[in-house]
Amino acid sequence: MAWDLFLWILSFFVSLALVASVFYQVICLTDLEADYLNPFETSSRINRLILPEFILQGSICILFLLTWHWVFFLVALPVTCYHAMLYKERRHLIDVTEVFRGISFEKKLRFTKLGFYIVLFIMVVFRLTLSAVYSFTEDDDLLHLF
Amino acid sequence: MNRENQGYPNFPARPPPPPSSSSSPFASAPPPGVPPQSGGPETVGFRPHTRPFTPSGPPMAPPLGVMRPVQPPLVSQIPGQGSRPPPSTAYGPPGGGSFQRFPTPPPPPSGPPPTQTLAGHFSPPMSLPPQLPMGPPPQSMSSGVPGGYASPPQPGFQQSGPPINPSYPGVGSPQPSFPGYPSKQVLQGPPSSYPPQAGGFAQHPGQQNLHPSYAPPTSNVQGLAEDFNSLSLTNIPGSLEPGLDQASFPRPLDGDVEPNSFAEIYPMNCHSRYLRLTTSAIPSSQSLASRWHLPLGAVVCPLAEAPEGEEVPLIDFGSSGIIRCRRCRTYVNPYVTFTDSGRKWRCNICSMLNDVPGEYFSHLDATGRRMDMDQRPELTKGSVEIIAPTEYMVRPPMPPIYFFLIDVSFSAAKSGMLEVASQTIKSCLDNLPGYPRTQIGFITYDSTLHFYNMKSSLSQPQMMVVSDLDDIFVPLPDDLLVNLSESRNVVEAFLDSLPLMFQNNVNVESAFGPALKAAYMVMNQLGGKLLIIQNSLPSLGAGRLKLRGDDARVYGTDKEYTLRVAEDNFYKQMAADCTKFQIGINVYAFSDKYTDIASLGTLAKYTGGQVYYYPGFKSSIHGDKLRHELARDLTRETAWESVMRIRCGKGIRFSSYHGNFMLRSTDLLALPAVDCDKAYAMQLTLEETLLTTPTVYFQVALLYTASCGERRIRVHTAVAPVVTDLGEMYRQADTGAIVSVYARLAIEKTLSAKLDDARNAIQQKIVKALREYRNLHSVQHRLGSRLIYPESLKFLPLYGLSICKSTPLQGGPADASLDERCAAGFTMMALPVKKLLKLLYPNLFRVDEWLLKPSEHLDDLKDVLRRLPLAAESLDSRGLYIYDDGFRLVLWFGRMLSPDIAKNLLGADFAAELSRVTLQEQENGMSKKLMRLIKKVRENDPSYHPMCFLVRQGEQPREGFLLLRHLIEDQMGGSTSYVDWILQIHRQVQQNG
Repeated sequence: MAWDLFLWILSFFVSLALVASVFYQVICLTDLEADYLNPFETSSRINRLILPEFILQGSICILFLLTWHWVFFLVALPVTCYHAMLYKERRHLIDVTEVFRGISFEKKLRFTKLGFYIVLFIMVVFRLTLSAVYSFTEDDDLLHLF
Repeated sequence: MNRENQGYPNFPARPPPPPSSSSSPFASAPPPGVPPQSGGPETVGFRPHTRPFTPSGPPMAPPLGVMRPVQPPLVSQIPGQGSRPPPSTAYGPPGGGSFQRFPTPPPPPSGPPPTQTLAGHFSPPMSLPPQLPMGPPPQSMSSGVPGGYASPPQPGFQQSGPPINPSYPGVGSPQPSFPGYPSKQVLQGPPSSYPPQAGGFAQHPGQQNLHPSYAPPTSNVQGLAEDFNSLSLTNIPGSLEPGLDQASFPRPLDGDVEPNSFAEIYPMNCHSRYLRLTTSAIPSSQSLASRWHLPLGAVVCPLAEAPEGEEVPLIDFGSSGIIRCRRCRTYVNPYVTFTDSGRKWRCNICSMLNDVPGEYFSHLDATGRRMDMDQRPELTKGSVEIIAPTEYMVRPPMPPIYFFLIDVSFSAAKSGMLEVASQTIKSCLDNLPGYPRTQIGFITYDSTLHFYNMKSSLSQPQMMVVSDLDDIFVPLPDDLLVNLSESRNVVEAFLDSLPLMFQNNVNVESAFGPALKAAYMVMNQLGGKLLIIQNSLPSLGAGRLKLRGDDARVYGTDKEYTLRVAEDNFYKQMAADCTKFQIGINVYAFSDKYTDIASLGTLAKYTGGQVYYYPGFKSSIHGDKLRHELARDLTRETAWESVMRIRCGKGIRFSSYHGNFMLRSTDLLALPAVDCDKAYAMQLTLEETLLTTPTVYFQVALLYTASCGERRIRVHTAVAPVVTDLGEMYRQADTGAIVSVYARLAIEKTLSAKLDDARNAIQQKIVKALREYRNLHSVQHRLGSRLIYPESLKFLPLYGLSICKSTPLQGGPADASLDERCAAGFTMMALPVKKLLKLLYPNLFRVDEWLLKPSEHLDDLKDVLRRLPLAAESLDSRGLYIYDDGFRLVLWFGRMLSPDIAKNLLGADFAAELSRVTLQEQENGMSKKLMRLIKKVRENDPSYHPMCFLVRQGEQPREGFLLLRHLIEDQMGGSTSYVDWILQIHRQVQQNG
């Protein structure tokens, strides 16, 4: 039981980090559009985050698979596949020279990802509370039994 | 429906001059008593009355050339055209319904003079009766009067019927009914009457008693009923009938013909060499813009070379500071209006009222003009240069800096490149701009990096070798980039010894990436221009490249485009870093093997530079070309650390930019080094569904540091009317600008798609545009199987074909090497409109007859040599031809060319194989004449040095490679011929038409 709780606490923080990272990237892109940031800054800020995000997202996806949480795995899978595809085609980083050409696509992509991550986050929070409540109530029950 | 009215209401015609004046452009000052123009109730655009000159009573007897009497269309001119509507419908009295579409004429001149500038240019002439009876055409003139057209209009004729269509010569055929050309090409006419080189679009052959309908400025033009040009393609698509006369197809044999009507209506616009709009009529709504399938945008060449006497005036605002709009930051320009007795000015772009600074104040005269207008070029000229105060500097203006990164591996010395380059640099030292602030520096590299200490106290340069490529270390960073005037002797000593030093270098490696990083580290304090002279594929250190090119198996697959983009992200990153620190990169590549220009060129592309490619460089052959082009690169006037922005009125926005530069923000082009040979294309989108202003203003502003160390702003302002009629947009289209945008779009497309897709995209775009145009006219006209197109776009299909056959897009892997393709692509992305059009449809002319004629002086090439259509038919085996696309000159010797000529021109080795012969001046008049001609051709366009190739007819494969493949009207290999292309387009236009 403690392992389960630990898993959900871990995935809670991971999905929170994912949401935060993508949110930050969206903000960078919006700033670029509004001319608060220059393309050099923007791309270095975003590109710094991309690989950690991919790794984090991939590992949580694998974690769900290993712990046999099918629903969570299936929710995380599309993004993982997309990330793998991007990485394989070497298109995962923002191209500093052509930022403005792809900016609308990059923004849309990040909004979609943000949606996915938020869904994942909500599900994780739900399971976290559930498992926390279970673990406490079970403990209580055990206490009562004894 | 009366046809001649269809384009009428929206046509912004130039107001006719007063009766006493000739056809010269009217003065900018409004004539007294001009009715206020903007008061027209329902006219959104500038739509003054088009037929002002018709007092119904007394004859006005206008001077010759100002007005053209009505001429009924010549029915007999076009035999056998069943589809042609009878002329009576064209010239009959218009029905009341159609007449109401004319804008209400402006009120009579009773009110105060109009406000400022606009009215001065668009004001219709004085008092007009609001409605004019449109008399029937004189019946007596219904048949052609031979010779009569050239004579001045007779007064009697003037009286007999008011001229319905006064058209103003030189306005660029504004009158829809007078396109200046016959509106039909009769393809079924007797073919023998077409001289094959006549370029058929201009002349109507055949009936000798008819006036040829091209319009010299003072002759009277036939009125033909239709608003558009057309090609009759009566045969079944796909099959070539003998009746289909290729000679009548439109060809741009006069070179680039700019639409000049708007330049005359708006004399305060900047010259078209700086800014060309794809159409000088901006659509008023998004729905209209979406029906305009051609690109909507502009081509800007901010530093275009101005001919003598037309230099851009330099202005110093002094203590008042630069006058700009507070809200939209527009610079003061001829179209701003002063109000409140001169204390306020209204921004023409955002209509904000700004205060006039005290130092800039001037009283207004009775017409609202500033008294000091004549002393203020910024208020009268569309192009000005403003000296920028310190607020426009983030640091002191940089000196001109030239840094050379020279690959000295084995082939550099062997090909002789090193010697030519160092000689050229040495000879240019005196002419580098910006003396005495100019700085210069060198790094050479093979498998190691060589730095040169050029401190002025030394007598000889000190060479330092760095062999650690992974962790670059720059020794003596302060003495690598030195002031030229101080270290002149050291620099000269270095350049003298450079070829000798590496004469026997056998190192074949090239540590390009580390060298570039080192140069970047030296330069990033100040920026400047980095000239990369690269001889082989970068093979060591960061940014090493693989031999990936010319793998024919990749062609045709989805991976094809990857060959044309930079392989390693290193290049894009370096380019971005260089742009950030104001380093502009020009790449010179010399290898005879694959050098991955796609990757190297990326450096030039994003730093606003250009790529020079000399495949298989041999100093004996390419030496002159390198010498000339390197010298030009070093000595031409260059703008340093510049940024460019183009502003436009409310409701529209420039959404995409195409060319060699990097975007620093959504609309700011970063250009570390820019010069007169660079142009940038951009496309517009409408942000609001409906534009409410009658005009749209564009303002290009280039903020740069001049070589002399002054910070300057070059401002070009232009205005274009907003129209509600699609036909008007087509009429005001500018083929040159459209083709320029298309070429850039197509080249960009090759970077993300297959060549085939890029070519198809071009064709589809042209088809869509012509289909829309056809739909516009198919209601009123029986178009039959004619391909119709607006007069302004008559060359568009041909240029489209040329784009598809240009080096970056042509054929498959066998047709051009990957490096050539990419180099041409980078070059074409930067070319100004005129040079691009010349490259797309090169000059071909015959010279042997001219050579044989007794000596003439050579003032204008156009007088001497007539351009020929680019087809094998144009080549006569008895002739000598020159093909000139601005980059290469090919001399084609016909097989039956008189041996005397060949002997005179080539000297003793006239019978030898021409690939080994170089053209040299011989001791005879004919050879001298030819050399003079070639010199003249080269001087006409100094930005590149066309190399001279000699080829004899039938000399395969050189002939095909040098010339035949570039005869774009012919079918070569898998490509389409002009006829087939037209047929293809026509077929597709008719589908769903």
